[in-house]
Amino acid sequence: MTTTIGLEIHVQLATRTKMFCGCSTAFEDEPNTHVCPVCLGLPGALPTLNAEAVRLATRIATALGCTVHEVSEFSRKNYFYPDLPKSYQITQFDRPIATGGSVPIVTERGTRSVRLTRAHIEEDAGKSMHAADITLGGETLVDFNRCGMPLIEIVTEPDMQSGDEAYEFLHNLRRLVRWLGVSSGDMEKGAMRCDVNVSVSPDPAKRGTKVEIKNLNSFRSVKRAIDYEEQRQAQCLADGTPVLTETRHFDEVQGTTTAMRSKEASNDYRYFPEPDLPLLQLDPTELESLRTHMPELPWEMQSRFERDLGLLPYDAALITEERSTAEFFQQTVALCDNPKKVASYMGTEVAKLLNERGKTLTETQLTPTTLAGLLTMVEHNAISNTASKDVLPLLMDTGTTPMEAVRSLGLEQVSDTSAIEGFAREVIAENATQVEQFRGGKEAVLGFLVGQLMKKSKCKANPKLTGEILRTLLKS
Amino acid sequence: MATIIDKVTLEHVASLARLEITPEEEEPLLGDLERILGHVAQLSSVDTSAIVSKRPAMTELRPDDPREGLTREEGLGGAPAMRDGFVVVRNVMGGEDE
Amino acid sequence: MNSGLPRTLEQYRRAVRAHELSAEEYLDETRRLIERDEPQVRAFLHLRLDAAHSDAQAADPTSPLAGAPIAIKDNIMMAGERCTCGSRILEHYVAPYSATVVQSLLAAGAVVPGKTNCDEFAMGSSTENSAFFPTHNPADLIRVPGGSSGGSTAAVAAGFALGAIGSDTGGSVRQPAAFCGVVGFKPTYGRVSRYGLVAFGSSLDCIGPIARSVRDTAIMMNVMAVHDPKDATSVRRPHVDFEASLQPTLAGRRVGIIRELQGLDVQPEIAAAMEAACEAALKSGASLVDVSLPHILSALPAYYIIAPAECSANLGRFDGVRYGLHEGGRDMTETYSRTRNAGFGTEVKRRILIGAFVLSAGYYDAYYKKASSVRQLITDELDAALESADVLLTPTTPTTAFRIGAVTDPLEMYKADVFTIPANLAGVPAVSFPAGKDAAGLPIGLQLMGPRWSDAELLSSANVLFTALGGES
Ligand SMILES: [Zn+2]
Repeated sequence: MTTTIGLEIHVQLATRTKMFCGCSTAFEDEPNTHVCPVCLGLPGALPTLNAEAVRLATRIATALGCTVHEVSEFSRKNYFYPDLPKSYQITQFDRPIATGGSVPIVTERGTRSVRLTRAHIEEDAGKSMHAADITLGGETLVDFNRCGMPLIEIVTEPDMQSGDEAYEFLHNLRRLVRWLGVSSGDMEKGAMRCDVNVSVSPDPAKRGTKVEIKNLNSFRSVKRAIDYEEQRQAQCLADGTPVLTETRHFDEVQGTTTAMRSKEASNDYRYFPEPDLPLLQLDPTELESLRTHMPELPWEMQSRFERDLGLLPYDAALITEERSTAEFFQQTVALCDNPKKVASYMGTEVAKLLNERGKTLTETQLTPTTLAGLLTMVEHNAISNTASKDVLPLLMDTGTTPMEAVRSLGLEQVSDTSAIEGFAREVIAENATQVEQFRGGKEAVLGFLVGQLMKKSKCKANPKLTGEILRTLLKS
Repeated sequence: MATIIDKVTLEHVASLARLEITPEEEEPLLGDLERILGHVAQLSSVDTSAIVSKRPAMTELRPDDPREGLTREEGLGGAPAMRDGFVVVRNVMGGEDE
Repeated sequence: MNSGLPRTLEQYRRAVRAHELSAEEYLDETRRLIERDEPQVRAFLHLRLDAAHSDAQAADPTSPLAGAPIAIKDNIMMAGERCTCGSRILEHYVAPYSATVVQSLLAAGAVVPGKTNCDEFAMGSSTENSAFFPTHNPADLIRVPGGSSGGSTAAVAAGFALGAIGSDTGGSVRQPAAFCGVVGFKPTYGRVSRYGLVAFGSSLDCIGPIARSVRDTAIMMNVMAVHDPKDATSVRRPHVDFEASLQPTLAGRRVGIIRELQGLDVQPEIAAAMEAACEAALKSGASLVDVSLPHILSALPAYYIIAPAECSANLGRFDGVRYGLHEGGRDMTETYSRTRNAGFGTEVKRRILIGAFVLSAGYYDAYYKKASSVRQLITDELDAALESADVLLTPTTPTTAFRIGAVTDPLEMYKADVFTIPANLAGVPAVSFPAGKDAAGLPIGLQLMGPRWSDAELLSSANVLFTALGGES
């Protein structure tokens, strides 16, 4: 069985105002408070296009390698729904802002490229809450705050073959939109929404019947829905029951998909060019400058870190998840020049503390300078690696320097030979039995004696020096 | 000449436009529409193969600066039903696209 | 009206500035006239004479309009006033904001006596499609004032206002201006903001001034022609003083006569008025040129595809959810159709159905797309003709005002728009000015069209012919 998957993703553009009016896009609990004649579809109101939405859409399309068209056109998509005030959605149809492009994904089948069909800009509808969501007695509650939010819709070719691949695609797309500041990419808050097309076929050369799945509110839901749908369609094919071309609804609780009530009549959206908006014309020199000023993309940076800095794939992925983390990493490496150590330390100790605190790196007091300082102290044996773990929380929470933190915790490593010799003589005098055993050839006893010395030094003795000094004294 | 619009098409179009056509309205309406559409259908004889659309482009876009909108009362004071700040409508049947 | 009172906006403004008359006094005279004649004319859907009185008291005599009464068609928003569009579906709707053009007029000292009657959502040529009542032509009360801005033109003709604004999608300012014997101007598309005009055919709709002289429309255009960032189709243009652009003659101007319109059936007195206008043009220094627009007669069918298509989408918002009439049903589908059925009149429903049909799957290419191409073809032809002529002269209408109830066939009614529609399709400016009367004493209107953005020059040409044919200079 071959599964073919295509995605349609709506990404909410991170603007201050809506797509066609000056209403704020701020998240607002109070319903119907970010509204105006335009987004309420009041008679006589007209749309005006948000320049920033166009800029962000152009930016993401360029990063995705799309052909960004100098001229694109808005159209009206006509249908009646209570959360669609004008009875049409302003979108792009015949002439979208961008076509083509791709997103690389790492899969079991190796690194692959998921091709994009097109990307177009459009306005969101309002939000309807149905009887299913809350007890309303067969009523629907409508909030128009979301109505007119700026979206870019990205449509992929059917280039994915499993739920994991779709998950990977979405993860990479989300990483990119956040990386470029185009969107928060927050799927739970609806800033990224995804519809899925799944078809299963016994013949790899032929596509099966395309089934659309809606109501996917998280990456995990996308994967679960695909996994379920793959299995359901395969079962249908095995049983000889036909797979219908239909739209199915994903049930989060059950983990299943169910057919949505078939739409009355067939959809006939009667698209036609939006007469209220002349063509959108982009400046070719600005497009060119956007291309040349595009920052290194997360997946490009990730492979560079693996290739040039020798990072482990896991570390490289983690470091390039967020642009701020990657920048932090690069600044730290510039100060202490041990990329592998920095990456692994960020991936373990730093990540652990961030996790405990529920914070992102930029929300703490840790800076590339303090982290580099800490790692340099470890490298120069000024403190032990173990001791550094006690220092890190202070750097994160108080913003103090590593030197001060180490001093205040009394963690300076003792590398003074005479001090260690003093401890060593005491240990030898107090452990006659073990000393005899060592001298009798039982080398392993040295570890016990080192441990005794460390105890005496409150762990501050440099472990390497301790071993060497003990050995010399025992043999003399 | 073949009929342009028949009863079935009229009903389909009416349902798309959310208009109800009563049985009494249907006959005269069909007659009017047939004649009007017949008249406008004469355009099919115009050769437009060489025509290039010259729609203008937008000269300026709106800066992304928030502007004061309407209060809920100003914007939705005339809505037939409101509750807790929401507009209330009858249950929505089926699933049109969002 | 008292013979001592000004008959035009220009005379009014001069009198007010000379302290011979106050805005308040003039409004009181207007009010007396409205109280006397409005029950017969029925130009207004809503009057606001008390509010207008206070506005007139507060009016600045040095402002561009100096407190002159200007009526507003009831499909244009004025904050706090009802805006019904002549439809049951908006019968109780109160505008929460003002159209940009209304803001401009008010800021320039206009005083609004009321909102004028119109065909429902501006769809019609007689104002008989108003859901409330028909307006009567002040020139002959048993006749229609034309439409759809029939309330506005009747108000100006009857002396209820010195000027008015209307909307013109296929002739809705010019045709009723011709029927009522006043001047009606459709500016270049994009010259006057549409923000706050309830959309009918968005790519065709223009707000235009109606007045008793060409000069008065120029005075109004000085106030109305403002670039509006709220309307993406509004175009920023260099400042023009429309009134100061009025020239005394047509010296050096080429007046084009469209060959393809010559064979059309036109009332003889209107044909004679065309002759008289041509003579006047020659006398004033113009030359006459014969121009050909091979596809101009395809304008009407193209229009009756494009305008309904756009209206079918524009009128979808009247669904009973957020405002306007609401007729409950068992579910939303039923609520929608009940509301829309109860709220819309026959002509509006007819056009919505035509629009939905020409956009629907399987018909889009043959109808909507074809009509868009034909529109471009006609536009190209008009642009070319306006290279060889500075203005094109046509009748505004094939006949003078007809009797109320006389035209019942929708297609016949549509055909009356044959002269006015091309300017809307091409977005060029066009003006109708009075050019005498027919045997029954009914006003005749002639139309001049000009190149896009030649609004001021066009009004200047119209002013010369208008005054030559007996109009107020
Ligand atoms: Zn808004």
